[in-house]
Amino acid sequence: MKTLLKKEFKFSANALSYIFLAAAFMTFFPGYPILCSAFFVSMGIFYTFQSAREGNDILYSALLPVKKGDVVRARYIFVVVLELIAFVLMTAVTLCRMFFMSNAAPYVNNALMNANFMSLGFSLLVFTVFNCFFVGGFWKDAYKIGIPFLASSIATFVIIGIAETLHHLPGLEALNTPLGMLEIQLPLLAVSAIIYIVATLISCRMSVKSFERIDLTL
Amino acid sequence: MEKVLEINELCKTYPGFALKNISFSIEKGSIMGFVGRNGAGKSTTLRSILNFVHPDSGSIKIFGMEFKNSEDVIKQKVGYASSGTDYYPRKTLGQIIECTKMFYPTWNDSVCSHYLDKFNLDPSKKICQLSEGMKVKFHLVLALSHGAELLILDEPTSGLDPVSREELVIIFKKLAKQGVTILFSTHITSDLEKCADHITYIKKGEILASKSTESFLADYAPAITTLEDIMVHLEIEEEE
Repeated sequence: MKTLLKKEFKFSANALSYIFLAAAFMTFFPGYPILCSAFFVSMGIFYTFQSAREGNDILYSALLPVKKGDVVRARYIFVVVLELIAFVLMTAVTLCRMFFMSNAAPYVNNALMNANFMSLGFSLLVFTVFNCFFVGGFWKDAYKIGIPFLASSIATFVIIGIAETLHHLPGLEALNTPLGMLEIQLPLLAVSAIIYIVATLISCRMSVKSFERIDLTL
Repeated sequence: MEKVLEINELCKTYPGFALKNISFSIEKGSIMGFVGRNGAGKSTTLRSILNFVHPDSGSIKIFGMEFKNSEDVIKQKVGYASSGTDYYPRKTLGQIIECTKMFYPTWNDSVCSHYLDKFNLDPSKKICQLSEGMKVKFHLVLALSHGAELLILDEPTSGLDPVSREELVIIFKKLAKQGVTILFSTHITSDLEKCADHITYIKKGEILASKSTESFLADYAPAITTLEDIMVHLEIEEEE
């Protein structure tokens, strides 16, 4: 598995997957739907799937002395590691905004979602949707990337729409406070983290099963 | 003699085509020619051996093991080369070698350099800059460098010039003497006459014969003496 991971990160990965990690810093943007940063990070990961498919990576990997299931697991670990790096960067930017910049004019007058623990929770949900719809969808035939990415993108924008709407509803304003109502925001972040972990594990397990079932064409 | 590959009653049905009860085995150090027309089921059989295609029924044992339980162990001992198949066309041969060797504890750099030189392959070239024949040679370099004990070759000589084909035939004979087992699908039957110990003939998804080359040729002698003529005879006979 260690060797497969080395291959994923050094050999198969598209450079754009790493470059798009910088989208995590979009969390600084005021007046911009900050959850789009998670979407752009996942789009960066999409490029690795695209270039790996163009490179016939599935054939190459299937010929290597590894279990077929490990090929899938290694790719999931690659995806999760990039998402977690992005999440750490987003968390750093969010903490910066929460503790040092919350009184800055562009953030005070921000009509859109603020950077807080709630937005971090929603970012994890964006990654969850990507892992289930796109990554899970890809391994159904280990070839198609268009439809899974479309499905993933639609689900992502539904989540972004919900996140951007919720705090405008009466009684839910607390979800948008940069440094308040932590007793609500932190548990919701924890719930999002649990959903991310459980859904990604289930998606990985289902992908291993479907990849082991499909017939590979050379 | 130790059996390296044993296929028993292998069946796989596709719409419009089926492999029916494919059974044959190969002994260590032998070269088996897997012969049949285009679409007869050669590649599907080879893909089943590699676990790329999942049979509906039947069993495949490689070195006495089944893929289900020992996939990674089996693949350490198996090399595959095929014409018309490539991966990472924009990477250089050197990059692919560097990545591939990480997976094989048995990888031998001097063997790799030897065959790269022998086949005139430049490691700084990209896969997309190679001809089909050169790609097959590169796949062979990878297989030989990790000391594969079973080589599965799908039409390896079909894109090669006569000199390169002759070179390969000599290499195959040498490898077989060293105990490497070779399963070699082709319809260029003249290559098989030079090196194959056994012939397995497949027609419309069924094995017609699997026996020693002498015995296979003897079945049609004296009227027909070459594999090519036997193939034509077997295929035309039905059409008539």
